[in-house]
Amino acid sequence: MIRNYLKTAWRNLLQNKTTSLISIVGLAIGICCFLLLTTYLINELRYDRFNENAGRIVRLTYSYQSPDDVAATHTALTPTAPVPVFKQEIADVEDGVRIYNYTDGRPAAVEYGDKLFSESKMLVADQSFFNIFSFKFIKGNPANALVDPSSVVITASTAKKYFGDDDPIGKILKVNQTNNLMVSGVIEDVPAYSQIKFDLMGNYAIMPRSKNLKWDSANDYSYLLLKPGMPVAEVQKKIDAFVKNRFSGEGQTNHIWYTLEPLTRVHLHSDTADNLDPSGNITYIYILAVVAVILLVLACVNFLNLVTAKSAERAKEIGVRKVMGAQRIQLFIQFLTEAGIITLCSILLGVFLAYLCFPAFSTFCGQLVSFDTWRTSWLISGTVILFVLVTLLAGTYPSLYLSAFKPAATLKGKVSGYAGGNALRKSLVVFQFVVSVFFIISTIIAVNQLQYIQNLNTGMNRDQVMVLDIGGMPFNKIMAFKNELIQQPGVSGVTATYDSPVNVQGGYSINSVEDKNSDFSLSVTAVPVERSFVKTMGIKILQGRNLDLSDEQQVLTDDYEKRKYGFILNETAVKALGWKPQQAIGKRIGLNGRMGFIKAVVRDFNFTSLHEKITPIVIFPQYDWFGKLLVKTNGKNTANTIKQIQASWHTFYPDIPVNFHFLDEEFNEMYKNDQRTGDILKAFTIVTIFISCLGLFGLAVFSTKQRVKEIGIRKVLGAGVFNIVGLISADFLKLVIVAVIISSPLAWYAMSRWLQDFAYRVSIQWWVFASAAGMVVIIAFITVGYQSIRAALSNPVKSLRSE
Amino acid sequence: MLSLQHISKYYQAGGNKNYVINDISLDVDEGEFVSIMGPSGSGKSTLLNIIGMLDEPSEGYHYFVNEAVHQLKEKKRAALYKQYIGFVFQAYHLIDELTVYENIETPLIYQDVKGSERKAMVADMLDRFQIVGKKDLFPAQLSGGQQQLVGIARALIAKPKLILADEPTGNLNSKQGEEIMELFSKLNKEDGVTIIQVTHSEKNAEYGSRIINLLDGRIESSRKF
Repeated sequence: MIRNYLKTAWRNLLQNKTTSLISIVGLAIGICCFLLLTTYLINELRYDRFNENAGRIVRLTYSYQSPDDVAATHTALTPTAPVPVFKQEIADVEDGVRIYNYTDGRPAAVEYGDKLFSESKMLVADQSFFNIFSFKFIKGNPANALVDPSSVVITASTAKKYFGDDDPIGKILKVNQTNNLMVSGVIEDVPAYSQIKFDLMGNYAIMPRSKNLKWDSANDYSYLLLKPGMPVAEVQKKIDAFVKNRFSGEGQTNHIWYTLEPLTRVHLHSDTADNLDPSGNITYIYILAVVAVILLVLACVNFLNLVTAKSAERAKEIGVRKVMGAQRIQLFIQFLTEAGIITLCSILLGVFLAYLCFPAFSTFCGQLVSFDTWRTSWLISGTVILFVLVTLLAGTYPSLYLSAFKPAATLKGKVSGYAGGNALRKSLVVFQFVVSVFFIISTIIAVNQLQYIQNLNTGMNRDQVMVLDIGGMPFNKIMAFKNELIQQPGVSGVTATYDSPVNVQGGYSINSVEDKNSDFSLSVTAVPVERSFVKTMGIKILQGRNLDLSDEQQVLTDDYEKRKYGFILNETAVKALGWKPQQAIGKRIGLNGRMGFIKAVVRDFNFTSLHEKITPIVIFPQYDWFGKLLVKTNGKNTANTIKQIQASWHTFYPDIPVNFHFLDEEFNEMYKNDQRTGDILKAFTIVTIFISCLGLFGLAVFSTKQRVKEIGIRKVLGAGVFNIVGLISADFLKLVIVAVIISSPLAWYAMSRWLQDFAYRVSIQWWVFASAAGMVVIIAFITVGYQSIRAALSNPVKSLRSE
Repeated sequence: MLSLQHISKYYQAGGNKNYVINDISLDVDEGEFVSIMGPSGSGKSTLLNIIGMLDEPSEGYHYFVNEAVHQLKEKKRAALYKQYIGFVFQAYHLIDELTVYENIETPLIYQDVKGSERKAMVADMLDRFQIVGKKDLFPAQLSGGQQQLVGIARALIAKPKLILADEPTGNLNSKQGEEIMELFSKLNKEDGVTIIQVTHSEKNAEYGSRIINLLDGRIESSRKF
């Protein structure tokens, strides 16, 4: 019997090539998207779980609040003291490790023989690192790989890059001309789903900061290994008690505390700043899971619609089979078999499509995803479950519907089914379009917002600014290089700063303020700069004068105590101090012990992500350490200017590879996640529109078939083509309008939430909804139009004869 | 073989009952060849559908091979007509996706006949109707008369006691029609199959051993030969 089912199913499939193809392709696309998304989700959910100690490792985060701060600051960066101190003082802590991002400021120049590479992923960690975390060693021993302070563990691809097929163990890598590090181990490349990613791992002991234990200067990432079976909450209590005890009394005004985060929660649940690895967001995970299911359901709905759309053609067969003795259950199984065959084809095609899409999708979502993400047994059982689920989801309703046909009626050509089933089919199409319209609206808003950010006047001129990494280079040489560059024809200004001006990080506090109590303290962001910074970056001075040569000379005096700093504050900072810009000029303030006067007040400019509001910032001259050299070019013949700059660099720094980028790129990079959200929305929009249109097409086929007679009669009575097309299209456009009405508030709500994350955002305007509606109506009309025109042009004699 | 007693079929239209079949009583014995005639809308097809248990009467009693059909459950009824009844339709109603062979085989599949046995029975039937050469063709590749032959072969394959034919020659030309009627006559006489047919044609009706004339849902006249 099953053979008979398969045979009819297969022949049906071949006979209705168009609809079969639509069903299979639609379903395959749904399955492909579902696979891609679930693979991505698996990748996110397994983050860090490869560590054998994953259940016992916690990350330490640091929070502090000065008395005059509105809110506390939470950061993943910690001082040097907590790890060793907690390990010693708190019995539940078995071990701990501090990790420092060696290449945070600028990439490291790494030399081996005549090979010189710029490495951007080098970390240094306490020697316990490989005991706590589980990285697979190809060569060397995890237990003692980092014991020697001058040892370095590298990944397999790094080893390949420097040493080819030679044994890397014992070879010396020269890092930043100063550190000679000996390779003591080679590990497999760090998986993308690890929050600690590196190509080289050195010993923390090479850092000067490792020499003393301090409770300020937070620059390390700290992880603790708890004793087995210790609940995190217990340890947290003990640490809280310890910290409270340690920092009570002795004139402590700042409130500080440490929080333990289980390792496996860091990636998706942490909301601290300065993470080592860009964190995911559990909300996105939930949303994507819902989207994955919705896409699959959309595709199933489609299949369901198309099958019922063909039911008129199947009615006779069903009647005949029933008359010949088929029971309903037998017919049900027959139609389910057909659904199964379609599903099988779709799964095969979907898996193949997913296979083709994985590389592109990997770039798209910024992490490597492929079928390797799955365990083979999971993949197989997953596919089987998917097959059963989709078959049932897509096949049950049509099978029930079809097998219920009354033979006496169907054999006479009266296909029942305009009643209940139709309402269901229509609601399904509405559902599909609700999803499509939702994505269209969301995409329009997201694209708008991203454009808005890009074009927003941030109060600073980012155009044509080249950023060169100069972290840690001697100041005199930087100044000489600067003076050389400024002579070049394409260069209109050169300055240096500690941080990149689009992402200033430094946390300071203002105290010793004229006219204020002695215990006044205000947390601010501050950035040490070279004196022409404000002018080069085009930041507008509201009051006072820019930094000049005298300020430079002040900060170059050797006697630290005697320096008088000239500070530049933004409007927000001045306001926080309770002054008007003109009142502020000349006021005496201190910045973490640096005494000086307010020299100028500048208009507010955005110095971090536009997700954040502008906060107080202090710009001050300090010539100890510069991270970035900013070169403003005039925009004419940029390629040539770059070449000149590179050439000068090589004469000044022959041993160091030049690393540069444009400030605009860096700015855009900060919105990569948002850009990605936009891209994902775009992709979903296209997929959902496509799937929905397939569904609508199916319904149009169904409905025009049902109305053949009505159309025939209308034509005989004198209706023109235009009337008929209008008649049929109006029906579907109504559905689409209903979808727009349902979808708009949902999309409005969701996107308002999304926009909440931006301190600077567009307002959602009515035209967004109007244009989404217009777009979807046009698309729907094109889809339905072909069917209705065909129906309208058909010869009424033909359609009426069949009765 | 079957007995209808005071059978009525009506549709509720507003407050009125719209009778399609109005209080018909009818007995058919085994071996009879009954032709039902009457103008359009007289209830011929409905009566045939009721006899074939494809349709249910609104009132009355219906006995078939000593079973009270009006009391039977759906499943039992299906089993009954699976075993005893074969249908022949005006529009042939072959399954387009199946070949001649498979069409004829289908009723056996639903009656759980074993594969080897099915093969023999179908081969026998093809032979008998001299359509062996056409067994792998699809219905669309056959002429109307040939399709109807397949339809009849399919109706006969399960060795029914009763054949119900709803205007079996309605879509055929007169020569093909004549052949089909000859076949019915032969089946009736030689194999003892009971046949009830609905027809418009006086000539075809006369192949039967009894002619029943319907008018407005009632039996107007009944002649036996």
